[in-house]
Parts: sequence; C-alpha cells; structure tokens
Amino acid sequence: MIKNVLTNLGGIGLYGVVSVCLFFTVFNVALVFALLKKRAFLTHMSALPLADDTHSGPCSELKGNFRHE
Amino acid sequence: MKIDTFKYDNGIVRAFAIATVVWALVGFSAGLLAACELFWPGLNAGLQYITFGRLRPLHTNAVIFAFVGNGMFMGIYYSLQRLCKARMFNDKLSWFNFWGWNAIIVAAAITLPLGFTTSKEYAELEWPIDIAIAVVWVAFTINLLGTIRNRREKHLYVAIWFYIATALTVAILHIGNSMEVPAGLFKSYPVYAGVQDALVQWWYGHNAVAFFLTTPFLGLMYYFLPKAANRPVFSYRLSIIHFWSLIFIYIWAGPHHLLYTALPDWAQSLGMAFSVMLVAPSWGGMLNGLLTLRGAWDKVRQDPVLKFMVVAITAYGMATLEGPLLSIKSVNSLSHYTDWTIAHVHTGALGWNGFLTYAMLYWLFPRLWETKLYSLKLANWHFWLGLMGIMFYAIPMYWAGVTQGLMWKEFTPDGFLRYPNFLETVLQLIPMYRLRAIGGTLYLVGACIGTYNLYRTAKSGVFQRETEVQAASLESDTHSAGSGHRWLESKAGWFTVLSVVAVMIGGAVEIVPLYLIKSNVPTLSSVKPYTPLEVLGRDLYIREGCVGCHSQMIRPFRSETERYGEYSKAGEFVFDHPFLWGSKRTGPDLHRQGGKYPDAWHYNHMEDPRSTSPGSIMPPYPWLLTQKLDLKSLPARIRALRKVGVPYPEGYERETALQNLEAQSAKIVANLNFGSISNVPPDAEIIGMIAYLQRLGTDIKSAPQAAVIEDSAAPSDVVVNRNP
Repeated sequence: MIKNVLTNLGGIGLYGVVSVCLFFTVFNVALVFALLKKRAFLTHMSALPLADDTHSGPCSELKGNFRHE
Repeated sequence: MKIDTFKYDNGIVRAFAIATVVWALVGFSAGLLAACELFWPGLNAGLQYITFGRLRPLHTNAVIFAFVGNGMFMGIYYSLQRLCKARMFNDKLSWFNFWGWNAIIVAAAITLPLGFTTSKEYAELEWPIDIAIAVVWVAFTINLLGTIRNRREKHLYVAIWFYIATALTVAILHIGNSMEVPAGLFKSYPVYAGVQDALVQWWYGHNAVAFFLTTPFLGLMYYFLPKAANRPVFSYRLSIIHFWSLIFIYIWAGPHHLLYTALPDWAQSLGMAFSVMLVAPSWGGMLNGLLTLRGAWDKVRQDPVLKFMVVAITAYGMATLEGPLLSIKSVNSLSHYTDWTIAHVHTGALGWNGFLTYAMLYWLFPRLWETKLYSLKLANWHFWLGLMGIMFYAIPMYWAGVTQGLMWKEFTPDGFLRYPNFLETVLQLIPMYRLRAIGGTLYLVGACIGTYNLYRTAKSGVFQRETEVQAASLESDTHSAGSGHRWLESKAGWFTVLSVVAVMIGGAVEIVPLYLIKSNVPTLSSVKPYTPLEVLGRDLYIREGCVGCHSQMIRPFRSETERYGEYSKAGEFVFDHPFLWGSKRTGPDLHRQGGKYPDAWHYNHMEDPRSTSPGSIMPPYPWLLTQKLDLKSLPARIRALRKVGVPYPEGYERETALQNLEAQSAKIVANLNFGSISNVPPDAEIIGMIAYLQRLGTDIKSAPQAAVIEDSAAPSDVVVNRNP
C-alpha cells in the first residue's frame, strides 16, 4: 500500500521535453537578438560605465592613489 | 537638445556602505562563533540564545541579507543613478528602503536567538517580518523602476537588466515561499506541507542564491569591473546571452537540493538537467568578466580593487562549476548532507559576494569622500588574509565532506556498516572544524583591517553628499510623464515584462506538477496528524533549530536504510507544516528516531548529550527540563494547523486537545519514572520534545495494530498508541 506513486504520474515525461525545447528557444532567440545588434551599438553599450566621469577626479589614476604605499 | 542639471544622491550610498561594513563584522563573528561551537560544544555557556541551532540562521541571515544585502543596495544605488543619468526616483523611498531593511535585520537579530523561526532556510523570519520585507522590497522596486523611467540614457545597460530581474524575482520568490497562517505574533505554519513545502522552499532557497547573491552581483560586476579596470566590457553580445540564459535556467534548478529525497524522480531529473546546463551561462559571465581585464592585468598586481575582483570572479567560476557538478545525482549522493555543501556555499559567499563587496567598498570610499585610500598596505593585508581565510575554510570542509560521505557509505566485507555509530564519523572531522575556525578567524581579521582602512579613508576626506552633473534629456517618446501605457510600451516596460515571463516559466513548470502531486499524494491510513503534545514538541524542535544539524529524510540507499531504517516516503509528510527534511547532518538523521530509545534516554541526552553519547558535539539543552510548555498557545496552533489543512475536528482545541495532551504527558512522566527519573513536571518542555521525537517515523511502523484510524477520527485516539 505504501508506495511512492508520485513517480508514476501520467504524462509527466512531457515536462522534460517541453522544458528543454523552451530553453533552446529562449537561448536561440537571445543569440539571434545579440547577433543582430550593430557594432556601433555594442561598442557604445560596452563602454557605458566609463561614460560617467563624475568620480574620475583624484582617483582616476592608480599611481599616487594611496596615502601609505 | 535640452540639457538638464541634476544631482546624484551619494548620501544613500554612504548609508548602505556603512551598514555593509558593520553588518559584515556581525555576520562573520556569528559564523565564527557557530563554527567554534562545533568543536567546543560548551561554548554557548549554557545560554539557549546562542546554541548552534539558533546561531546558524542568525549567521546566514546576517551575511546574506545584512552584509550582502546592504552591499547590493549600495552598489545599485550608486551605479543605477549614473547608468540612468538620473537621481534616484524618490529620496523618501530610498531612505525608507535603508531604514526599513536595517530595521528588519535588527528584528532578525533579536527574534532568531529567541527562537522565533519558521525553520525554512534563508526564510526563517516570522510572518510580521516577512510582511515588512515585502513592503520594503516593493519600495525598492518602485524606486528602481521609477529611476529607470526618469532616465536620460536611452539604452538600458546590462547591469540594469540584472537589477530588474533581481527586484522582480525576489518579490515573487519571497511572497510565494512565505504563504503562512499565523498562530500568534511570532508563530506561523506554512500553507504547504511535506513534499510541496520542500519543493516550494527549495524553489525559493535556490533562487534566493540566484537572484539575491548572483544576479545583482553580476550586474554590479558589469558596472564596477569596467570602471576599476578602465576598460569596456569584453563582449556586450555575450552579456546579452549571459543574462537571458541565466535568468531563464536558474529558476528551474531548485529540485537539485532534493535529490534522492521523497520528491518525485522526474522533478529531480529536471532539476539536475537544468543545473548542468547552468554552467554554460555562468561561465559565459565569468569569462566576460575576466576578459574585460585584457590589457589591464598589470594593474591587478597593484590595485587592491582589481585584486579583490579577480578573486571574486574566479570564485564565482569555481562555485558555478561545482554547483552543477554537485547536482549530478551520483555526486550528490556522496556530497549531500555533508560539509562539502558548506565548502561550496562559502566559496560563493566569502569569495564571490564577500570579495566583490569589498572591491566595491575600496572603490567607492575614496570617491565618495573625495580622497585617497588610507593605506594600500592594509588593503593588501586584508586581501591576503581574506584569501587565506577562504582557503583555510574551504579546503578542510571539502576534506571533511568527502571523508564523512565515504565513511557513511563504507561496508565491511561481511556486509555490515564499517562505521555504524554516526558519532565515529563526526569525531573524524573535529580537526577539520578547528582548521575551518582558523580560516574564519583570518577572514574576520582581514575584514577588521579593511574596516579600519575604510574608516581612516573616510576620516581623511570630505564627504560629497551630492554630485552635480549635466545630461541631455531624452525625447519624451519613450517615457513621457504620467503615461502608464507608454511606459509599458517603452523598452524598459517590455523588458520588465519579458524578464518576469522568463523567470515565471521555470516556476510554473515546477508549480503546476506541484498541484498534480497534491492530488496524487497517497493518503496513508497509518499517517495521522500530530497529537497536541507532539505539536508543541515539534515547535520546540523548530525553535531550537534542530533541523540545522539533523535531517529527517532517509534516502533510498542501503547505507542509509541499514543505519537509520526504512527510507522516507512522500506520504509520511502530509501533515508536516513545515517540512523538516534538513540539508545537513552534523548529527544523525532522525526520521526513524521514534521508539529507538526509551524516554529516559532522551531526557538524559537533552540534559547532557555526552552522558549518553560520549564525545558528542551537541550542546546540552538543560532549559528544556525547567521551562514550561506554552499551553496557552495550543488552541491558536491547532486552529492555524486546521486552516492549513490538518484535519483536526472542529472545536477540538477547546477541551479535548488539552485532555489529550495531559494524558500523553502523564504516560511520558510515568515512563521517565520507570527509568529512574522522578519528579519531572508533566508540563516541562522536555516532555513535549520527547513526545515528538518518539513519534518520528513511527506511523508506518505502528500499522496495523496501533494506528488504523480513518481520517475522520479524532487525533485523541492517536495518543493511546503513541507510547514508546
């Protein structure tokens, strides 16, 4: 009587197949989305953190950046 | 083109930075104390508030939500404003976020040592605090999305994607896992039970790691690493693929925490498959980080910020390779419940989160205070002590994990367990536990040096509360004020929706079968609700944090069934609100503990574990012998349990429950008398604890003569048959 009947749920194998298909769909869409981006855009975006220079003053140069070297 | 002049809010960044530094010391100290208690069991000096069981959730909460949480907010509040070229959406929300979050942490620091806990890992806080977390998190999310809405930079940088995914997913996870019915101001029962509760908990627990400890820090890496290296991100294309793959896959992998448990096999396999796939996006992100340093490796030798970052990213790569490895069922069969898991999570916490947070702190302090770092030498000391600390922590724990896993499984040529006494396998690990404490001490000393260095840095400069900047305003077509529909149509709106969809798919695929499972859980006639005394005893077990060291889940291995008895079945946990399967065995599994020893053994064992188990590292629990059971709260507990689905008859809590409890207490007192332990008050906490421990795993053993009771039968019938 005491059996782990949970392992016998009907049609549950479908979940694995659907899951993998979903993943590859998402992955491929992301891949295509990324590949279609133009180089100028990518260059702009990858350098975006550097565009903000509000705190580049005394600490922008490594040399002499420390009081007790 | 219209040029706007506005100011970045640095005050909120400073507040979170200071909180990060302070909570780090608290969290690390709590961890060190807990680590020392494992080889020095009397270290709690008889204080119930700092036993390992109560200290462990305090340590994990302090490190995850206080140290890493404040560090995350610090980094987000700094970078978001600059990436959006906009001040935070609302200063009041920012400060509500800060004070609310830190008040929650203080509440955790008070309630967890007092034993107010749900027992669910990384979600231990009780329901009033859960509500507070939800409110504060919503405030943060509104502030985040509002700032994005007010941005002056057209495109959303990848770091912001990670922040959005973090904000939305953590909200979903927290609310989903905190569905509970109160049974008092600081007591609640989850609406889920047994297998369902386990799956929801680890859907939450795994993704708390993903979306609290990983995605926000990846976003911060994508901002602070290029800043520190003064190099653009290696591949923005890769970051796009990294983001979508990671957030999509991560949410599926939760079941890998439940391999070989009573969770259905298909769910385990699904969790394993997605966990293995997870290595690809994780390593994509790691490589993108390390390759961003191309041409800047010479700086790594000198700049402590980059040093900390390189180790952090490397630790991320190691942990995300190891995680999928541990999710493979055959590896997991050895590693699970051992210190291997502890080593794994500390590689992530100390290396990835800890070092990246300190990198941000070292980068931010000189800039916020417009000065130079006080001491490069001290920063280097911090770095090396921290690195040595990680090594001294992780290596002994790996050693301990593999050693104990192998010892548990070893048989003699005659087919008997080579180490049938669990304690033998624990005593082997004591030297490793001592080494681990040295590692923790080194890391803590490094953090103290870092704190001093940051303090002196701040003291030597002048804090810049705001930074005035100018930027061109965006055309109003993407986010005109007050236009909700246009907001949704803008890229940020669509982006948010798509992120939620990506995250929800994995959750839905796990949750839909969850309901299927619920309708298919076998109703075992021998499995009955806990008696009132057992309910109180179980709540004491939860209060003391016993689940931190003892599992209640016997896996279907010969080495486990030989040691503990029949393997655990899903149907046995249908009244377990919450489930108490545990994830670590510092002590043995207790699922078949019921009836194994006489009541007097348990009494003596709780009073002084070494009197019954010489060499045991369990702390004594003498207060259980003197403190009284909270009988007044019993009706509220029974009512709450009925609400979550336990079939106590209507009105049962009014009189019958107490009569039932007294009858069962009297039998235990008589049993103790028989065991030469006299004058034990029938309402002492130890009586409840003994009742619960003696019940564990006996349902399927007690059939057919003892517990053949139909669902409609009152639990009072159960008492008669629960005597050991």
